[in-house]
Amino acid sequence: MKVKVGDVVLPGDLCEEIVAAGEKSKVILGPGLKKEVDGIYVSKAGTLRKRAPNTYWVDNYQKRYIPARGENVIGIVAQKAGDIFRVDVGGSCTASLSYLSFEGATKKNRPKVVIGDVVYAKMLVASKDMEPEIVCVDSHGKKGRLGVLEDGFVFKCSLNLIRKILNPDCPLINSLKNQWPFELAAGMNGRIWIKANTLRETIALGNAILGSEYLSNDEIKSMCTNIAGILAGHIS
Amino acid sequence: MEVENTDLKDFKLRPMKCECNFLSKSDGSAILSQGQTVALVSVNGPLDIKMTSQSIEKATLEVLFTSKVGKPSVADRYKEHVIRQTCESAILGSLYPRTGITVTIQELEDYGGFTVCSINCACLALLNAGVAMRHTFAGVACAVDEQGNIQLDPDAAQLETARATMNFVFDSREKRLITSLTNGSFSEDAYKEALERCRSASQLVFDFYKDIVSKYSYVIG
Repeated sequence: MKVKVGDVVLPGDLCEEIVAAGEKSKVILGPGLKKEVDGIYVSKAGTLRKRAPNTYWVDNYQKRYIPARGENVIGIVAQKAGDIFRVDVGGSCTASLSYLSFEGATKKNRPKVVIGDVVYAKMLVASKDMEPEIVCVDSHGKKGRLGVLEDGFVFKCSLNLIRKILNPDCPLINSLKNQWPFELAAGMNGRIWIKANTLRETIALGNAILGSEYLSNDEIKSMCTNIAGILAGHIS
Repeated sequence: MEVENTDLKDFKLRPMKCECNFLSKSDGSAILSQGQTVALVSVNGPLDIKMTSQSIEKATLEVLFTSKVGKPSVADRYKEHVIRQTCESAILGSLYPRTGITVTIQELEDYGGFTVCSINCACLALLNAGVAMRHTFAGVACAVDEQGNIQLDPDAAQLETARATMNFVFDSREKRLITSLTNGSFSEDAYKEALERCRSASQLVFDFYKDIVSKYSYVIG
Protein backbone atom coordinates (compact mmCIF):
# COMPACT_ATOMS: atom_id res chain seq x y z
CA MET A 1 0.00 0.00 0.00
CA LYS A 2 1.20 3.51 -0.83
CA VAL A 3 0.96 6.14 1.86
CA LYS A 4 1.59 9.86 2.36
CA VAL A 5 2.48 12.09 5.31
CA GLY A 6 -0.25 12.31 7.95
CA ASP A 7 -1.71 8.89 7.13
CA VAL A 8 -2.04 6.02 9.53
CA VAL A 9 0.51 3.49 8.36
CA LEU A 10 1.11 -0.20 8.98
CA PRO A 11 4.32 -2.23 8.55
CA GLY A 12 4.90 -3.06 4.89
CA ASP A 13 3.45 0.18 3.49
CA LEU A 14 5.54 1.86 0.79
CA CYS A 15 6.40 5.59 0.95
CA GLU A 16 6.99 6.96 -2.54
CA GLU A 17 6.81 10.55 -1.34
CA ILE A 18 10.02 10.14 0.66
CA VAL A 19 11.84 8.53 -2.26
CA ALA A 20 10.78 11.44 -4.48
CA ALA A 21 11.98 13.95 -1.87
CA GLY A 22 15.22 11.98 -1.54
CA GLU A 23 16.06 12.50 -5.18
CA LYS A 24 16.16 16.27 -4.72
CA SER A 25 17.96 16.48 -1.39
CA LYS A 26 19.04 14.29 1.50
CA VAL A 27 16.28 12.99 3.77
CA ILE A 28 16.50 11.78 7.36
CA LEU A 29 14.59 8.61 8.21
CA GLY A 30 13.47 8.45 11.82
CA PRO A 31 12.11 5.49 13.77
CA GLY A 32 9.63 3.27 11.99
CA LEU A 33 11.02 3.73 8.49
CA LYS A 34 13.43 1.41 6.73
CA LYS A 35 15.23 1.69 3.42
CA GLU A 36 15.17 -1.40 1.27
CA VAL A 37 16.40 -2.08 -2.24
CA ASP A 38 13.18 -1.04 -3.95
CA GLY A 39 12.01 1.83 -1.76
CA ILE A 40 11.31 3.02 1.75
CA TYR A 41 9.02 0.85 3.81
CA VAL A 42 7.20 1.45 7.07
CA SER A 43 8.15 -0.90 9.91
CA LYS A 44 5.88 0.29 12.74
CA ALA A 45 2.19 1.02 13.10
CA GLY A 46 1.23 4.64 13.71
CA THR A 47 1.02 8.03 12.04
CA LEU A 48 3.57 9.05 9.40
CA ARG A 49 4.95 12.49 10.26
CA LYS A 50 7.25 14.99 8.62
CA ARG A 51 9.21 17.92 9.95
CA ALA A 52 10.37 20.44 7.38
CA PRO A 53 12.56 20.27 5.47
CA ASN A 54 13.36 16.58 5.28
CA THR A 55 12.84 14.52 8.43
CA TYR A 56 10.32 11.69 8.38
CA TRP A 57 9.26 9.32 11.13
CA VAL A 58 6.39 7.16 12.39
CA ASP A 59 4.70 8.19 15.62
CA ASN A 60 3.81 4.83 17.15
CA TYR A 61 2.56 3.45 20.42
CA GLN A 62 5.30 1.77 22.44
CA LYS A 63 6.14 0.90 26.00
CA ARG A 64 9.52 -0.83 25.65
CA TYR A 65 12.49 1.53 25.38
CA ILE A 66 15.07 1.11 22.61
CA PRO A 67 18.16 3.22 23.51
CA ALA A 68 18.83 6.14 21.17
CA ARG A 69 21.80 8.51 21.24
CA GLY A 70 21.34 11.91 22.84
CA GLU A 71 18.14 11.16 24.74
CA ASN A 72 17.74 12.00 28.42
CA VAL A 73 16.74 8.95 30.45
CA ILE A 74 15.97 8.05 34.04
CA GLY A 75 17.81 4.97 35.26
CA ILE A 76 18.13 3.02 38.48
CA VAL A 77 21.61 2.01 39.60
CA ALA A 78 21.56 -1.78 39.71
CA GLN A 79 25.17 -2.75 40.29
CA LYS A 80 28.58 -1.33 41.10
CA ALA A 81 31.30 -3.01 39.06
CA GLY A 82 34.80 -1.58 39.62
CA ASP A 83 34.84 1.88 38.10
CA ILE A 84 31.47 1.73 36.37
CA PHE A 85 27.87 1.55 37.52
CA ARG A 86 25.35 -0.67 35.77
CA VAL A 87 22.14 1.29 35.36
CA ASP A 88 18.77 -0.15 34.46
CA VAL A 89 17.16 2.14 31.88
CA GLY A 90 14.41 -0.23 30.75
CA GLY A 91 16.15 -1.36 27.57
CA SER A 92 17.13 -4.90 26.65
CA CYS A 93 20.37 -4.64 28.64
CA THR A 94 21.68 -2.37 31.37
CA ALA A 95 23.57 0.82 30.49
CA SER A 96 27.03 1.57 31.84
CA LEU A 97 27.80 4.80 33.69
CA SER A 98 31.41 5.60 34.49
CA TYR A 99 32.10 7.17 37.89
CA LEU A 100 34.23 9.79 36.11
CA SER A 101 31.28 11.07 34.09
CA PHE A 102 29.89 13.16 36.94
CA GLU A 103 30.59 16.85 37.45
CA GLY A 104 33.84 17.40 39.30
CA ALA A 105 34.58 13.70 39.67
CA THR A 106 38.20 12.59 39.73
CA LYS A 107 39.96 9.33 40.58
CA LYS A 108 40.34 10.60 44.15
CA ASN A 109 36.97 12.31 44.43
CA ARG A 110 34.36 9.65 43.66
CA PRO A 111 30.72 10.66 43.32
CA LYS A 112 28.40 9.43 46.06
CA VAL A 113 26.22 6.99 44.17
CA VAL A 114 24.83 3.84 45.77
CA ILE A 115 22.82 0.91 44.44
CA GLY A 116 19.15 1.85 44.11
CA ASP A 117 19.79 5.53 43.36
CA VAL A 118 17.81 7.14 40.57
CA VAL A 119 19.93 9.01 38.02
CA TYR A 120 18.94 11.40 35.26
CA ALA A 121 21.46 10.90 32.48
CA LYS A 122 22.11 11.37 28.79
CA MET A 123 22.64 8.52 26.32
CA LEU A 124 26.16 8.87 24.97
CA VAL A 125 26.50 5.62 23.06
CA ALA A 126 23.46 3.71 21.86
CA SER A 127 23.87 1.11 19.19
CA LYS A 128 22.04 -2.15 18.67
CA ASP A 129 25.31 -4.09 18.80
CA MET A 130 26.81 -2.46 21.88
CA GLU A 131 25.97 -1.89 25.48
CA PRO A 132 24.54 1.61 25.89
CA GLU A 133 26.63 4.16 27.81
CA ILE A 134 25.18 7.07 29.73
CA VAL A 135 26.79 10.16 31.26
CA CYS A 136 25.74 12.72 33.86
CA VAL A 137 27.69 15.65 32.38
CA ASP A 138 27.43 17.61 29.13
CA SER A 139 30.32 18.16 26.72
CA HIS A 140 31.59 21.10 28.83
CA GLY A 141 31.90 18.95 31.94
CA LYS A 142 28.94 20.67 33.60
CA LYS A 143 26.13 18.64 35.14
CA GLY A 144 23.30 20.95 34.10
CA ARG A 145 20.11 19.18 35.14
CA LEU A 146 21.68 15.71 35.03
CA GLY A 147 22.80 13.70 38.04
CA VAL A 148 21.40 11.75 40.96
CA LEU A 149 17.73 12.51 41.73
CA GLU A 150 17.23 12.77 45.49
CA ASP A 151 13.95 11.71 47.15
CA GLY A 152 10.86 11.99 44.96
CA PHE A 153 8.77 9.31 43.34
CA VAL A 154 9.37 7.38 40.09
CA PHE A 155 6.67 5.77 37.95
CA LYS A 156 6.53 4.21 34.51
CA CYS A 157 4.36 5.11 31.54
CA SER A 158 4.29 4.64 27.79
CA LEU A 159 6.91 6.34 25.62
CA ASN A 160 4.18 8.31 23.83
CA LEU A 161 3.10 9.98 27.04
CA ILE A 162 6.65 11.25 27.63
CA ARG A 163 6.79 12.71 24.13
CA LYS A 164 3.34 14.19 24.62
CA ILE A 165 4.08 16.01 27.87
CA LEU A 166 7.48 17.22 26.63
CA ASN A 167 5.85 18.67 23.51
CA PRO A 168 5.89 22.50 23.84
CA ASP A 169 2.27 22.56 22.64
CA CYS A 170 1.08 20.35 25.48
CA PRO A 171 -0.65 22.45 28.18
CA LEU A 172 -0.17 19.91 31.00
CA ILE A 173 3.00 21.24 32.66
CA ASN A 174 2.04 24.88 32.04
CA SER A 175 -1.38 24.42 33.66
CA LEU A 176 0.03 22.56 36.65
CA LYS A 177 3.09 24.68 37.42
CA ASN A 178 1.04 27.64 38.62
CA GLN A 179 -1.16 25.54 40.89
CA TRP A 180 1.39 24.11 43.32
CA PRO A 181 5.19 23.82 43.41
CA PHE A 182 6.79 20.58 42.20
CA GLU A 183 9.86 19.19 40.45
CA LEU A 184 9.59 16.86 37.49
CA ALA A 185 12.06 14.93 35.35
CA ALA A 186 10.78 12.98 32.34
CA GLY A 187 13.06 10.31 30.85
CA MET A 188 12.56 9.34 27.22
CA ASN A 189 12.65 5.72 28.41
CA GLY A 190 9.13 5.98 29.83
CA ARG A 191 9.97 6.90 33.41
CA ILE A 192 8.92 10.04 35.23
CA TRP A 193 10.40 11.31 38.48
CA ILE A 194 8.29 13.77 40.48
CA LYS A 195 8.81 15.54 43.76
CA ALA A 196 6.27 17.72 45.52
CA ASN A 197 5.97 19.07 49.06
CA THR A 198 3.31 16.68 50.32
CA LEU A 199 2.09 13.18 49.58
CA ARG A 200 -1.28 14.53 48.37
CA GLU A 201 0.39 16.82 45.88
CA THR A 202 2.65 14.02 44.61
CA ILE A 203 -0.30 11.71 44.03
CA ALA A 204 -2.29 14.47 42.35
CA LEU A 205 0.62 15.24 40.04
CA GLY A 206 1.13 11.57 39.16
CA ASN A 207 -2.55 11.11 38.41
CA ALA A 208 -2.65 14.26 36.30
CA ILE A 209 0.25 13.00 34.17
CA LEU A 210 -1.07 9.46 33.75
CA GLY A 211 -4.60 10.73 33.13
CA SER A 212 -3.52 12.97 30.26
CA GLU A 213 -2.44 10.08 28.02
CA TYR A 214 -5.68 9.82 26.03
CA LEU A 215 -6.94 13.39 26.45
CA SER A 216 -6.91 16.32 24.03
CA ASN A 217 -5.31 19.64 24.94
CA ASP A 218 -8.60 21.23 26.03
CA GLU A 219 -9.52 18.22 28.12
CA ILE A 220 -6.09 18.32 29.79
CA LYS A 221 -6.65 21.96 30.78
CA SER A 222 -10.02 21.25 32.37
CA MET A 223 -8.64 18.14 34.12
CA CYS A 224 -5.79 20.20 35.62
CA THR A 225 -8.20 22.85 36.95
CA ASN A 226 -10.35 20.07 38.35
CA ILE A 227 -7.42 18.38 40.13
CA ALA A 228 -6.16 21.71 41.47
CA GLY A 229 -9.66 22.41 42.80
CA ILE A 230 -9.83 19.09 44.59
CA LEU A 231 -6.36 19.59 46.04
CA ALA A 232 -7.20 23.06 47.32
CA GLY A 233 -10.31 21.64 48.96
CA HIS A 234 -12.86 23.56 46.89
CA ILE A 235 -14.43 20.35 45.60
CA SER A 236 -14.63 17.25 47.72
CA MET B 1 -8.83 1.17 22.32
CA GLU B 2 -11.88 -0.91 21.57
CA VAL B 3 -12.99 -1.44 18.02
CA GLU B 4 -15.85 -3.22 16.39
CA ASN B 5 -16.39 -3.67 12.69
CA THR B 6 -19.33 -4.59 10.52
CA ASP B 7 -18.32 -5.07 6.90
CA LEU B 8 -17.01 -8.60 6.95
CA LYS B 9 -20.27 -9.71 5.39
CA ASP B 10 -19.20 -9.97 1.75
CA PHE B 11 -16.97 -12.91 2.47
CA LYS B 12 -19.16 -14.13 5.32
CA LEU B 13 -16.29 -13.79 7.77
CA ARG B 14 -17.43 -13.79 11.35
CA PRO B 15 -17.45 -10.37 13.05
CA MET B 16 -14.10 -9.36 14.59
CA LYS B 17 -13.69 -7.35 17.75
CA CYS B 18 -10.42 -6.29 19.28
CA GLU B 19 -9.00 -4.44 22.23
CA CYS B 20 -5.35 -3.45 22.19
CA ASN B 21 -3.30 -2.87 25.33
CA PHE B 22 -5.60 -5.22 27.22
CA LEU B 23 -2.86 -6.12 29.72
CA SER B 24 -1.23 -3.23 31.55
CA LYS B 25 2.10 -4.81 32.44
CA SER B 26 3.18 -6.36 29.14
CA ASP B 27 4.90 -4.35 26.40
CA GLY B 28 2.12 -5.06 23.96
CA SER B 29 -1.08 -7.06 24.12
CA ALA B 30 -4.31 -7.63 22.26
CA ILE B 31 -7.50 -9.58 22.76
CA LEU B 32 -9.29 -10.58 19.58
CA SER B 33 -12.58 -12.33 18.99
CA GLN B 34 -13.62 -13.77 15.65
CA GLY B 35 -17.19 -14.83 16.15
CA GLN B 36 -17.16 -16.76 19.41
CA THR B 37 -13.48 -17.69 19.18
CA VAL B 38 -11.37 -15.54 21.50
CA ALA B 39 -7.59 -15.31 21.86
CA LEU B 40 -5.44 -13.18 24.15
CA VAL B 41 -1.83 -12.47 23.19
CA SER B 42 0.86 -10.68 25.14
CA VAL B 43 4.20 -9.59 23.65
CA ASN B 44 7.27 -8.78 25.73
CA GLY B 45 10.53 -7.57 24.36
CA PRO B 46 13.07 -6.96 23.07
CA LEU B 47 14.53 -8.01 26.41
CA ASP B 48 17.56 -9.67 27.92
CA ILE B 49 17.70 -13.47 27.64
CA LYS B 50 20.19 -16.06 28.78
CA MET B 51 23.44 -16.37 26.85
CA THR B 52 22.75 -19.85 25.45
CA SER B 53 19.65 -18.77 23.53
CA GLN B 54 21.04 -15.46 22.29
CA SER B 55 21.71 -15.07 18.60
CA ILE B 56 24.34 -12.52 17.57
CA GLU B 57 22.59 -11.54 14.37
CA LYS B 58 18.90 -11.43 15.21
CA ALA B 59 16.33 -11.47 17.96
CA THR B 60 15.28 -14.83 19.35
CA LEU B 61 11.54 -15.26 19.09
CA GLU B 62 9.82 -17.44 21.64
CA VAL B 63 6.16 -18.40 21.37
CA LEU B 64 4.30 -19.87 24.32
CA PHE B 65 0.89 -21.36 23.73
CA THR B 66 -1.43 -22.08 26.62
CA SER B 67 -4.64 -23.96 25.99
CA LYS B 68 -7.69 -23.45 28.17
CA VAL B 69 -7.63 -26.83 29.87
CA GLY B 70 -5.31 -29.77 30.21
CA LYS B 71 -1.58 -30.21 30.11
CA PRO B 72 0.57 -28.79 27.34
CA SER B 73 0.46 -31.30 24.51
CA VAL B 74 2.42 -32.14 21.37
CA ALA B 75 -0.31 -30.46 19.31
CA ASP B 76 0.27 -27.24 21.25
CA ARG B 77 4.02 -27.46 20.59
CA TYR B 78 3.26 -27.84 16.89
CA LYS B 79 1.00 -24.77 16.92
CA GLU B 80 3.71 -22.80 18.71
CA HIS B 81 6.15 -23.82 16.01
CA VAL B 82 3.83 -22.74 13.19
CA ILE B 83 3.07 -19.39 14.83
CA ARG B 84 6.74 -18.78 15.63
CA GLN B 85 7.77 -19.31 12.02
CA THR B 86 4.95 -17.05 10.82
CA CYS B 87 5.95 -14.25 13.20
CA GLU B 88 9.65 -14.71 12.46
CA SER B 89 9.08 -14.05 8.76
CA ALA B 90 7.44 -10.74 9.63
CA ILE B 91 9.63 -9.38 12.45
CA LEU B 92 12.75 -7.39 11.58
CA GLY B 93 14.82 -9.32 14.09
CA SER B 94 18.13 -7.95 12.81
CA LEU B 95 17.32 -4.62 14.51
CA TYR B 96 17.41 -6.28 17.93
CA PRO B 97 20.42 -8.64 18.01
CA ARG B 98 21.13 -10.67 21.19
CA THR B 99 17.68 -10.04 22.59
CA GLY B 100 14.55 -12.10 23.01
CA ILE B 101 10.95 -11.40 22.07
CA THR B 102 8.33 -13.47 23.86
CA VAL B 103 4.85 -13.98 22.44
CA THR B 104 2.43 -15.59 24.88
CA ILE B 105 -0.90 -16.85 23.55
CA GLN B 106 -3.76 -17.76 25.84
CA GLU B 107 -6.75 -19.62 24.47
CA LEU B 108 -9.96 -18.18 25.91
CA GLU B 109 -12.70 -19.69 23.71
CA ASP B 110 -12.32 -22.05 20.76
CA TYR B 111 -15.37 -22.25 18.51
CA GLY B 112 -13.43 -23.03 15.34
CA GLY B 113 -10.57 -21.25 13.60
CA PHE B 114 -8.52 -20.75 16.73
CA THR B 115 -5.16 -21.01 14.91
CA VAL B 116 -5.87 -18.08 12.60
CA CYS B 117 -7.49 -16.12 15.42
CA SER B 118 -4.33 -16.46 17.51
CA ILE B 119 -2.14 -15.55 14.51
CA ASN B 120 -4.19 -12.40 13.83
CA CYS B 121 -4.17 -11.56 17.50
CA ALA B 122 -0.37 -12.06 17.66
CA CYS B 123 0.00 -9.61 14.76
CA LEU B 124 -2.10 -7.01 16.56
CA ALA B 125 -0.13 -7.49 19.77
CA LEU B 126 3.17 -7.09 17.88
CA LEU B 127 1.85 -3.87 16.31
CA ASN B 128 0.83 -2.66 19.77
CA ALA B 129 4.26 -3.50 21.20
CA GLY B 130 5.97 -1.42 18.51
CA VAL B 131 8.22 -4.25 17.33
CA ALA B 132 9.65 -3.39 13.89
CA MET B 133 8.16 -5.60 11.20
CA ARG B 134 8.66 -6.13 7.47
CA HIS B 135 4.93 -6.50 6.90
CA THR B 136 1.79 -7.40 8.79
CA PHE B 137 0.20 -10.80 8.36
CA ALA B 138 -3.38 -12.01 8.32
CA GLY B 139 -4.72 -15.52 8.62
CA VAL B 140 -7.95 -16.83 7.10
CA ALA B 141 -9.40 -20.28 7.74
CA CYS B 142 -11.72 -22.26 5.50
CA ALA B 143 -13.44 -25.63 5.47
CA VAL B 144 -14.35 -28.00 2.63
CA ASP B 145 -17.64 -29.84 3.23
CA GLU B 146 -18.80 -33.24 1.89
CA GLN B 147 -20.11 -31.69 -1.35
CA GLY B 148 -16.80 -29.97 -1.97
CA ASN B 149 -18.10 -26.48 -1.19
CA ILE B 150 -15.68 -24.07 0.40
CA GLN B 151 -16.80 -22.23 3.51
CA LEU B 152 -14.67 -19.30 4.68
CA ASP B 153 -14.08 -18.79 8.40
CA PRO B 154 -16.11 -21.83 9.55
CA ASP B 155 -17.67 -22.02 13.01
CA ALA B 156 -17.73 -25.08 15.26
CA ALA B 157 -20.88 -26.61 13.68
CA GLN B 158 -19.52 -26.27 10.15
CA LEU B 159 -16.20 -27.78 11.20
CA GLU B 160 -17.93 -30.92 12.48
CA THR B 161 -19.32 -31.76 9.06
CA ALA B 162 -16.22 -30.63 7.19
CA ARG B 163 -14.07 -33.04 5.20
CA ALA B 164 -11.02 -30.81 5.32
CA THR B 165 -9.91 -27.61 6.99
CA MET B 166 -7.29 -25.19 5.71
CA ASN B 167 -5.55 -22.23 7.31
CA PHE B 168 -3.69 -19.68 5.22
CA VAL B 169 -1.58 -16.73 6.33
CA PHE B 170 -0.69 -13.91 3.92
CA ASP B 171 1.68 -10.96 4.11
CA SER B 172 0.42 -7.41 3.61
CA ARG B 173 2.78 -6.32 0.83
CA GLU B 174 1.86 -8.56 -2.08
CA LYS B 175 -0.44 -11.00 -0.31
CA ARG B 176 2.08 -13.78 -0.67
CA LEU B 177 1.41 -17.00 1.18
CA ILE B 178 3.46 -17.24 4.39
CA THR B 179 1.92 -20.24 6.10
CA SER B 180 -0.40 -22.98 4.96
CA LEU B 181 -1.77 -25.47 7.46
CA THR B 182 -4.19 -28.10 6.15
CA ASN B 183 -6.04 -31.03 7.59
CA GLY B 184 -8.11 -33.77 5.90
CA SER B 185 -8.46 -34.79 2.25
CA PHE B 186 -9.26 -32.48 -0.65
CA SER B 187 -8.53 -32.13 -4.35
CA GLU B 188 -5.83 -29.91 -5.79
CA ASP B 189 -8.47 -27.69 -7.43
CA ALA B 190 -10.26 -27.23 -4.11
CA TYR B 191 -6.97 -26.18 -2.54
CA LYS B 192 -6.31 -23.64 -5.28
CA GLU B 193 -9.80 -22.21 -5.10
CA ALA B 194 -9.66 -22.00 -1.30
CA LEU B 195 -6.27 -20.29 -1.48
CA GLU B 196 -7.53 -17.60 -3.85
CA ARG B 197 -10.71 -16.96 -1.88
CA CYS B 198 -8.77 -16.72 1.38
CA ARG B 199 -6.29 -14.39 -0.31
CA SER B 200 -9.07 -11.96 -1.24
CA ALA B 201 -10.68 -12.32 2.18
CA SER B 202 -7.38 -11.47 3.89
CA GLN B 203 -7.79 -7.88 2.65
CA LEU B 204 -10.67 -7.51 5.12
CA VAL B 205 -8.41 -8.53 7.97
CA PHE B 206 -5.76 -6.01 6.86
CA ASP B 207 -8.44 -3.31 6.68
CA PHE B 208 -9.48 -4.30 10.18
CA TYR B 209 -5.89 -3.84 11.43
CA LYS B 210 -5.76 -0.39 9.85
CA ASP B 211 -9.08 0.51 11.44
CA ILE B 212 -7.82 -0.40 14.90
CA VAL B 213 -4.47 1.34 14.52
CA SER B 214 -6.13 4.51 13.21
CA LYS B 215 -8.61 4.59 16.09
CA TYR B 216 -5.87 4.66 18.69
CA SER B 217 -3.35 6.68 16.65
CA TYR B 218 -5.70 9.67 16.65
CA VAL B 219 -6.04 9.52 20.42
CA ILE B 220 -2.37 9.27 21.37
CA GLY B 221 -1.10 11.83 18.83
